Amino acid sequence: MNYLGLVLAVVAAVIATVLSGIGSAKGVGSAGQASMGVLSEDSSKFGKMLVLTLLPGTQGLYGFIVGFLIIANCGILGGELPSKGQGIAFLAAALAIGVGGLISAIEQGKSAVSGIALTAKDDKNFSKAMVSITLVEIYALLSFIVSLLAVISIPGIEI
Amino acid sequence: MAKLKMKQFTIVALRKDRKYLIEHLQDSSIVELKYGKEAAEGFKKIDLSSRRQVFERQKANAEKALKILDSIVPEKSSMLSSFSGRREIDPDEIGEFAEKASETADLCTDIIDLEKAKAENAAERVRLRNQIAQLEPWENFDIPFSLKKTASTAIIAGSFPFSLNETLLAEKLAACDGLVFKSEIVYSSGDITCFVLFVPKTQAEKADAFLRSEGFSYPAFQGSEEPKKLIEEYRQRLSDIEKADKAADEKIASFADRREDMKFACDFFKIRANKYDAISSLDHSAHTFVVTGYIPEEDSERLEKICNKLEMCVLEFENAEEDAPVKLKNNKFSEPAQGIVTMYASPGITDIDPTPILAFFYYFFFGMMFSDAGYGLLMFIACIVAKKKFKPEMNMRNNLTLFEYCGVSTFIWGLVYGSFFGNAPAVFYNHFTGASITMADICPWPILDQKSDAMTIMILSVALGLIHILAGMACKFYVLWKNGDKKGALFDVGSWMLLLIGVAVAAAGAKFGKTIMNIGIYIAVFCVAVLVLTQGRSNKNIFKRLLSGVASLYDVTSYVSDLLSYSRLMALGLTTGVMAEVFNLLSEMLGKSFLGSIFMIVVFIAGHAVNIGLNVLGSYVHTMRLQYVEMFSKFYEGGGKQFEPFSLNSKYIRIKEDNKK
Repeated sequence: MNYLGLVLAVVAAVIATVLSGIGSAKGVGSAGQASMGVLSEDSSKFGKMLVLTLLPGTQGLYGFIVGFLIIANCGILGGELPSKGQGIAFLAAALAIGVGGLISAIEQGKSAVSGIALTAKDDKNFSKAMVSITLVEIYALLSFIVSLLAVISIPGIEI
Repeated sequence: MAKLKMKQFTIVALRKDRKYLIEHLQDSSIVELKYGKEAAEGFKKIDLSSRRQVFERQKANAEKALKILDSIVPEKSSMLSSFSGRREIDPDEIGEFAEKASETADLCTDIIDLEKAKAENAAERVRLRNQIAQLEPWENFDIPFSLKKTASTAIIAGSFPFSLNETLLAEKLAACDGLVFKSEIVYSSGDITCFVLFVPKTQAEKADAFLRSEGFSYPAFQGSEEPKKLIEEYRQRLSDIEKADKAADEKIASFADRREDMKFACDFFKIRANKYDAISSLDHSAHTFVVTGYIPEEDSERLEKICNKLEMCVLEFENAEEDAPVKLKNNKFSEPAQGIVTMYASPGITDIDPTPILAFFYYFFFGMMFSDAGYGLLMFIACIVAKKKFKPEMNMRNNLTLFEYCGVSTFIWGLVYGSFFGNAPAVFYNHFTGASITMADICPWPILDQKSDAMTIMILSVALGLIHILAGMACKFYVLWKNGDKKGALFDVGSWMLLLIGVAVAAAGAKFGKTIMNIGIYIAVFCVAVLVLTQGRSNKNIFKRLLSGVASLYDVTSYVSDLLSYSRLMALGLTTGVMAEVFNLLSEMLGKSFLGSIFMIVVFIAGHAVNIGLNVLGSYVHTMRLQYVEMFSKFYEGGGKQFEPFSLNSKYIRIKEDNKK
């Protein structure tokens, strides 16, 4: 079974991209609903609403990058195929941003909804809302860094 | 480079000069008026609210009329027009416009009346449509509803709420004992049967009772006209109304060329209303009035000049108290970032103006996150072009300059990371020559590869974060020292700063050698000792002192989490780089054919546009967060009141600065 490592690596890429993508989709989705409501009242707030709505979207990007790096390192695009051990390691690395991104994006979406309500009341609250929403993101960021460092170093390890 | 020194001024002048003085203060927008609620002794406030209300109503009218006009003839505006400023008007032109204003106000009233008539028509239209819908089943019925009987026969017209044909109807009616009748169906469909029934007059009541028990209902309208004629009449009225609406729309649309006048009128009335608002809050005596307020010291000469033009006037300056409003002034380099400071909060009483430090780190970190030479160049050029083309106003101009500087920083970081539209140069070179080179081969300088050197970049990020935090703490140190709290500066801030430096030196020692590491450790241990000994210094009891000293060391967790937060510098930079690479990879997928080349161009442009959009936003937000959460939390109190000058608070026009005066 030479290909087991490759299969595992592809599954890892899928997990990283899809799970965090689901999280971001949910987060941006609920924030989007809230901001449409605000825009129906006052369309001049579009710029600010756009910023707040997009904030839970970064998790999806992080997941995608980890997924891409796994694909780039697993031999599909040329190079050596990963061993079984490396495949399992990729899978484990992908879980960090997959699960971390999934949950943190949904939670960030919730705080984005509240931030949108806050900004709708008074434009001056925008920066406060924005900063509070980014507080959630640090946890996605930490997951991403763990996944990233692991994925970058796995090809160099013989397992 | 700091908070401007504020003066408080008092002007006493004659009432006859009131108009001149207030208008000039409003035009020059150099002072913030200070309103007392109660008049000082010997003075009283005068009530001009009725006059103000007149102007406010006219302003509201103009706004409403503009909105109506916009809904019929939308104003042409492109996405980019939001960059351009308000329309500039020469001071000499104002008189001309002002004369027009009252005529324009009448025009606005006309537009609003037309709109009102339209709204009434809409209600009428609904009513007519309903009636037509109700009458339509009876269209073929040629007896007026009001005709109930002839000499010997009663005529009953009405409907059952279900479908019947002639036979079924006759059967149904036959169920009524002994009723002599003739029936005729006028209209029948799925849920209604309209019919007319002729019965002898003597049986009319009997028939009526029977029909009611079967669910019969009489039509809701009476009238001496035949239904057919009625319908025609209603339709005629409907089309008349539609014509009237169309005419009203055309009439309103014909005013489209007066839009600018209406905008001016809107601003004109608003300014007047503001002026009366200001006047009603001033203290008046029989012949004089008093204006008090704040003015930045550097503008006080201009105020003197205005006052000197008056025949008789007293102007006095005194130093403003501490809670005076704050106006910031910075040099060209840091001014664009001023908006970011005030978006958080204006500096409070003890704060220094953090703009210069913030500006430097803002540009620096933004560049590190956006991190692409191509994108940086693009942003730099776009901002310069936008500034030239649209002549934006102060705020927008500052924002554009902010991104212009960030573009420079992005360009430089892009060179450091060896990234120009991702790895586009290498990809295209390989694509057309078949070689396999990387960006590292192209750049003549050693580059930091975002993927393979991720660990190095992360350490660099945290190190830069440490510098950022130390800069914040240095501000705190300065503020405390300046305000005389030297112990606080040394023990509370200084020792933590030194501790962080010590830890950093020790960490560097892990790479550069044991001696350096030891030096770092000694510094750190010394600082820990100082902290333990001094942090509880408000306590008298020696044990409590030491205990709260030890407890204060727990703050180290907050420093660690702050420092880790800077890893986003690496993460967001990497995001930009990798996304760009992905789009480059996609763009060359269809090979070198003609179709492949077209595909390449399209994917390249669209992909990088998406990447720029996403990552500008990310960099903007996260840089701001690093400033607000990580640095400002170290020293910035905020809570100051921003200087809001008494000015022409207009929406559409602005008066050109007149340098002659």
